[in-house]
Amino acid sequence: MPNMREIRERIASIQQILKITNAMYLMSSSKLKKARKSLEATEPYFYKLQSTIDSVLEHTPHTRQQFFNRRSDIPDEKRKKGYIVITADKGLCGSYNHNIMKYTEQELEKAADLDNCYLFVIGQVGRMHFQRRMNSGKKAFVDGEFLYTTQNPTLYRAGEIAEMVIEKFESGDLDEVYLIYTDMVTSNQQEARTLRLLPFERKHFGKAEDGTMKKLPKASFMPSPEEVMNYLIPQYAKGIIYGAMVEAFCCEQQSRMTAMDAATNSAKDMIKDLSLMYNRARQAAITQEITEVCGGAASLDE
Amino acid sequence: MAKTFHLEIIATDRVFFEGEVEHLVITAIDGLLGILPGHEPLVTCLPTGELKYLVNGKWKYAAISEGFIQVMPESSIILADTCELPEEIDIKRAEEAKERAQEKLRQKQSIKEYYQTQAALNRAMNRLKISQKHFK
Repeated sequence: MPNMREIRERIASIQQILKITNAMYLMSSSKLKKARKSLEATEPYFYKLQSTIDSVLEHTPHTRQQFFNRRSDIPDEKRKKGYIVITADKGLCGSYNHNIMKYTEQELEKAADLDNCYLFVIGQVGRMHFQRRMNSGKKAFVDGEFLYTTQNPTLYRAGEIAEMVIEKFESGDLDEVYLIYTDMVTSNQQEARTLRLLPFERKHFGKAEDGTMKKLPKASFMPSPEEVMNYLIPQYAKGIIYGAMVEAFCCEQQSRMTAMDAATNSAKDMIKDLSLMYNRARQAAITQEITEVCGGAASLDE
Repeated sequence: MAKTFHLEIIATDRVFFEGEVEHLVITAIDGLLGILPGHEPLVTCLPTGELKYLVNGKWKYAAISEGFIQVMPESSIILADTCELPEEIDIKRAEEAKERAQEKLRQKQSIKEYYQTQAALNRAMNRLKISQKHFK
């Protein structure tokens, strides 16, 4: 049986950790509230954007627009693929980071040639992970200049990212761009998913919530369809990236909250077990002392 | 023909307006554009600018930054980065942003940054203009 001092120290240290996890739990729950609020505020835009673009595209005359150019003349192994991956800035959020990184690696494995994969990682944890991976010889180039935080997403940041990928797409540095983020299915179910950003495919705008878009036979575009698309598509990319960032941030806070809650609970359980053990040890020590005293007294009597 | 049409203005941070309007005037890239009920289907982009709509005989104004509009005969949707009423605009903040953008423009910059600052300056100026015009 372990001695009493050891158990006492262990209980004390668990109590310290319990305080920390509990504080983190409270913090992430208040951050989650904020993130939820911004998610709720953004969602109408996010969905409306998808459904509106969808209906706009249905009525767009076929244009030789560069954003629709699939560049099918480039063979599969030479295609340059860009992935925007949204991870967390910090750890201690359960399996959130692990899931998204594992998912990204699965996606990368599908690519024909890793040398032509470019990763744009948002968030410290993911960036560190993929940079280490890059240095260890498994090639998938991580853009070191791409430094963005996941905390409190802003439209401005999303705009910068969108501009950067669109520029790379236009100049031919990238042939395909994907967005990998964590989607909040329900409040306690999360799922990593990929969204293709560029080039655009008409069927990709199908995620909208309400299928009640009114059909219009053909719309006129001012000043011209190309001009409008040139403007609309960067705008769409920005909106989508922003929406994904908000969603991912909300998921991060949610999983941190759950993880910290679980940690707090298991710390409490451990303390309960240990205090039982401590009491037993104390009892045993007392019993032993009494036996010793009695034994001593008995020997004196003889 | 109906006298009003349904208008939705959705900004990234909220649903700014939803309801029946009689007349809508927007600033498109090549000038002002008035929309009445029964307009032909139209898609166009909206740069940073002013927006006004007529509800129950009263004009309402708003500052809008970068978005697009889809017009259909009985309804229209505007999706924009931000949209604010004149009285919501924080003049001090806009003025500070204007200063900041102007200061950046004065400094040597790459072309990309130059466009970004110019857009920021535009937004700030637009906010100031609209809040001065309609809200005193």
